[in-house]
Amino acid sequence: MITHGLRTRTLLWLAIGLAVLIALPLVIKSSFAIDIFIRILLFSFIGTAWNLMGGYAKQLSLGHAAYFGLGAYTSTILQIDFGISPWIGMIAGGFVAMLASLPIGWLCFRLRGPYFTIATIATAQALMLIFLKFRDLAWGAEGTTIPNLGNAPLMMQFDSKAAYYYVVLGLLALGLLITYLIERSWMGYYLVAIGEDEDAAEAIGVNAPRIKRDIYLISSFLTALAGTFYTQYIYFIDPATAFSFNISIEAALVSIVGGIGTLWGPVIGTVLLETTSTLLQSWLGSSIGGVQLTVYSLILMAVILWRPTGLMGIIGEARQRRNSVKPARA
Amino acid sequence: MWETVAQAVINGLLIGGIYALVSIGVTLIFGVVKIVNFAQGEFVMIGMYISFFLANQFGIDPLLSLLVSMPVLFVAGVLIQHFLIRRVLGPNDMPQIFLTFALSLLLLNLALMLFTANYRTVHTSYSDEALHLGGLYIPVAKLIAFVVAMALSAALWVFLHTTDLGKAMRAAAQNRDVAMLMGINPNRVFCVALGIALALAGAAGSLLMPFYSAYPFVGQVFVLMAFVAVVLGTLGNVIGALIASLMMGVAESLGIQYVGADSGLIVVFAMLLLTLAFKPTGLGGKAR
Repeated sequence: MITHGLRTRTLLWLAIGLAVLIALPLVIKSSFAIDIFIRILLFSFIGTAWNLMGGYAKQLSLGHAAYFGLGAYTSTILQIDFGISPWIGMIAGGFVAMLASLPIGWLCFRLRGPYFTIATIATAQALMLIFLKFRDLAWGAEGTTIPNLGNAPLMMQFDSKAAYYYVVLGLLALGLLITYLIERSWMGYYLVAIGEDEDAAEAIGVNAPRIKRDIYLISSFLTALAGTFYTQYIYFIDPATAFSFNISIEAALVSIVGGIGTLWGPVIGTVLLETTSTLLQSWLGSSIGGVQLTVYSLILMAVILWRPTGLMGIIGEARQRRNSVKPARA
Repeated sequence: MWETVAQAVINGLLIGGIYALVSIGVTLIFGVVKIVNFAQGEFVMIGMYISFFLANQFGIDPLLSLLVSMPVLFVAGVLIQHFLIRRVLGPNDMPQIFLTFALSLLLLNLALMLFTANYRTVHTSYSDEALHLGGLYIPVAKLIAFVVAMALSAALWVFLHTTDLGKAMRAAAQNRDVAMLMGINPNRVFCVALGIALALAGAAGSLLMPFYSAYPFVGQVFVLMAFVAVVLGTLGNVIGALIASLMMGVAESLGIQYVGADSGLIVVFAMLLLTLAFKPTGLGGKAR
């Protein structure tokens, strides 16, 4: 009875939230504001993709820019050289990222803890160097602009920013749905077991190498979709933006600040960090470099030192306190 | 022909000495405290800025400012261990990795805010001097840096093997629990390990200043090199890190000579990935 009641209430909140998100661009017309919403949704999505592997299985990658960049480059090369729609290129980019995750995973999963993290940084940087060095592959260091076709929904180009907003909202919904399904499946339990203690998980029969490989495939596929979307949104691609270390950092950061290994953690983390950064920028102006990441790193340190469970942990504690107070009154 | 090879090897060895100071710090912290310090490169950067400002404001020679940068960073290391790292030591990887990573981000971006991204250089009387041995060319500033780096490494080795505190550190590295049973205070040992490691990074910064530019991202070059050297030379092994750093310097220099001027990083990543693929426990390592 009680669980049923909770479920309906959750669904109700979800429906209200979705309705608000869909109505948002209809009410708020400022393109500055919509740009910020798009950033929030995009990084929530990237964080959600990272969280599947980094959060549930605690494989703390700082190299997800590799897949973001591969997705971006695959769809752009297909579009410019072969005239193929980025909608198809997006999926193709996802598959290229999955393919790349196999050898990269094979290398990196030999290591654990901090050395796994360093290896993932190195692989993403190595990919960036490849795209910088080999001009024949893809325009080298100066990159290229995406030809502007005006309003061409079939080529993922739109007149209004609102359309981009709905695309990335759809991506985030997909990411959250996949996370929700994995969380409730046998795979989710295996991932958490690996994240808690890999040796113990293997001892009770979890095939850790296979599970880690599979979640890496899913996580890299989703990250690549974000890469295609971002390139289409800013109409430009070069190795420094597509494989930017900041993408890898922010993917991990939003998840840790929001709550590692939770469904809503990356979303909440992104809302906090992006809002802070927007406020800072409107207050200080964007003239001083390094302000945003200085503040992000302070928030990250505060979370690690005082609340390693992130904002979701704080929310959970508050809820528990409220629930334990209620029966006492009755 | 052999002269260009020999010249490349010498260039590599000289810069390898600086890499060694950074890697020895990383491997010392890993060996004793069992964490990877992602911020090690930023302490090299801080050492460089200390030397830059002392030279710029008071005309102090960068080699002399070693006597300032090392103690300052030693104290910084003790404070960082005592107030930050001590709180995250435990079985959980996430806080350990992301605490030092956050520290690295913080220092780097603070430097960007305070000092801007401009390159800062110090010109000393010996910056352009060089020794000519046969057909070989040895820049004096780099030679001094190499000699001081080797002397500091040797001093660390003597400290670890002859003093009580040094022996306590090696004991804590070998088996923390048994060391604690023998009455070794782990936090004190960890504080000293962090202090020494950061002092070495500061020394590397001061030694670099006569021939290298300081800028906020400069530490990233050295820390990547150090991570590779530390994996290659077996985690937690000081001598291994030293030898691997010299090898890395030579490999990088040969890469620049024979592959291309901007191929240094590619050589580093290739070496890291090859090490991971074929010998993830390092050259002298045992299987985990």
